[in-house]
Amino acid sequence: MDQSTEDCFVGHLISSHEQVSPASRVENVADRFFAERDLEALALVEEGHPCGLATRGKVMSTLFHRFGFELFGRDPILEIADRHPLIVGADENLEAVLDRAMRREFRDIYDEILVVDENGRFKGLLSVKRLVVEQGNTLARSMAQKEMALTKAREMKRVTDMKSQFIAHVTHELRSPVNAIIGLAELMQLSAGEGQAGHLREKLSLLSSSAVNLRALITNILDLSKIEAGRMDVIVEDFDVAALLEEVAETTRILLGEKPVFLEVAAGPETRIIHSDRVKVRQILTNLCSNAAKFTDSGRIALSLKSGGEHVEMAVSDTGPGIREEDMSRLFSSFTQLEEAKTRCHEGTGLGLAITRELVALLGGRITVESAYGEGTTFSVQLPLNLPLHEKEAI
Amino acid sequence: MSPNKKRILVVDDDEKHLLTTREILELAGYEVVVHNSPFRTSEVVRKVSPDLILLDVNMPALSGDRLCSLLKGHASLKKIPVILYSSNDEDSLRRSVAEFGADGYVCKGDIAGLRGTASRILTPLI
Repeated sequence: MDQSTEDCFVGHLISSHEQVSPASRVENVADRFFAERDLEALALVEEGHPCGLATRGKVMSTLFHRFGFELFGRDPILEIADRHPLIVGADENLEAVLDRAMRREFRDIYDEILVVDENGRFKGLLSVKRLVVEQGNTLARSMAQKEMALTKAREMKRVTDMKSQFIAHVTHELRSPVNAIIGLAELMQLSAGEGQAGHLREKLSLLSSSAVNLRALITNILDLSKIEAGRMDVIVEDFDVAALLEEVAETTRILLGEKPVFLEVAAGPETRIIHSDRVKVRQILTNLCSNAAKFTDSGRIALSLKSGGEHVEMAVSDTGPGIREEDMSRLFSSFTQLEEAKTRCHEGTGLGLAITRELVALLGGRITVESAYGEGTTFSVQLPLNLPLHEKEAI
Repeated sequence: MSPNKKRILVVDDDEKHLLTTREILELAGYEVVVHNSPFRTSEVVRKVSPDLILLDVNMPALSGDRLCSLLKGHASLKKIPVILYSSNDEDSLRRSVAEFGADGYVCKGDIAGLRGTASRILTPLI
């Protein structure tokens, strides 16, 4: 049951269980009020059932009136108590109880309210002051809930906006290679029909590079969905991370093609065996390296590996355009690219870094970025040498 | 340049698309001039005086639809038909046509559509 609804039952708001027998002498009851400064009221209870209410105010004022003590001191408390106090069920609602309390005679308005269970047996006393405070709290809570709901709605709208933006990006990115494939295939068909080679080799190579691009895009989109759905498996094994770095460097060299970019790998002399998910680590490195290769037109890309304590640190540095300070915060967000879709220089879905960050988190590591606009960028990934098994199970 | 052939200028930053579009249109009997950047397009247009311009939409720094409205703003160039040719969503292409004053659009990958539009615009009415 929802906490706020539960709080509305007065049974949860009982502030005292103080009671006396209706036969107790007035003077003894008065002694209790003198001795216990916080005691505001006593329920008169006989064999578990309430039959009256003695409040501090009314008992004291009766006794301090002329000869009050002498007149009533030895009488049973029932004589001067309120014999018809307000009695409510524990499952009654706060609003309704307060409403009934406030409809009492003016002089009785602040008198405590007796609470009984379904069999009419005494459960405790409600302080009207506390009920009023509680009503205020409930109101504040409902306002806070409303505010929370509004915040949530705003957040949902932001996500929806981002998703439609993403779709605008991604439809173009997905269609573009498919359209190139269709065009190339059509041309090859035409030249085959005429029995001519028609630059077949060049077209085939464009065809396969378009297909490879398309596959990379689809893989990214599927990976992110998998991560978001919490269905990405982590499979740990021992592997040589320095060798992996070399392997990724090779692929990056192919990506760089003819660009005047020098690629170097600086791994420590000792082999770095780590216990983690090899495929994920390769994907992290590949993502960072292909970004570096995409954005660096000349200069240098450096891959490095250091280890210390319980971690290894892999870094990918480039002499690309760098990232503006103001763009840093949205660098890792999914569905965002730093450039406007229609006018950007570099293709892509804007998912690469989002996926990379998620993968690093999945492997218990962290990723940081340092960049000077106009000079270059360094991404560093710190991973635990030993991925604890419970992190795998938590996925 | 052949005097009888109709001339089409294709502006696209993607070399793959430039290559395929050029060849498809050449096979359809047009003379094709390609330009791989939105910049200096009006200069190229003046130089080659095409009968039709095909503009890609997503290009670095200046999108094809904006480029179209720039071309349409030149008194001497605005008579040349401009077709947006892009992998964008068809709805977004339709909006761009209306907003930036293009003469039509063709979705990339729709090769029959490309040939059809070119021939519709470039075949003289008898």
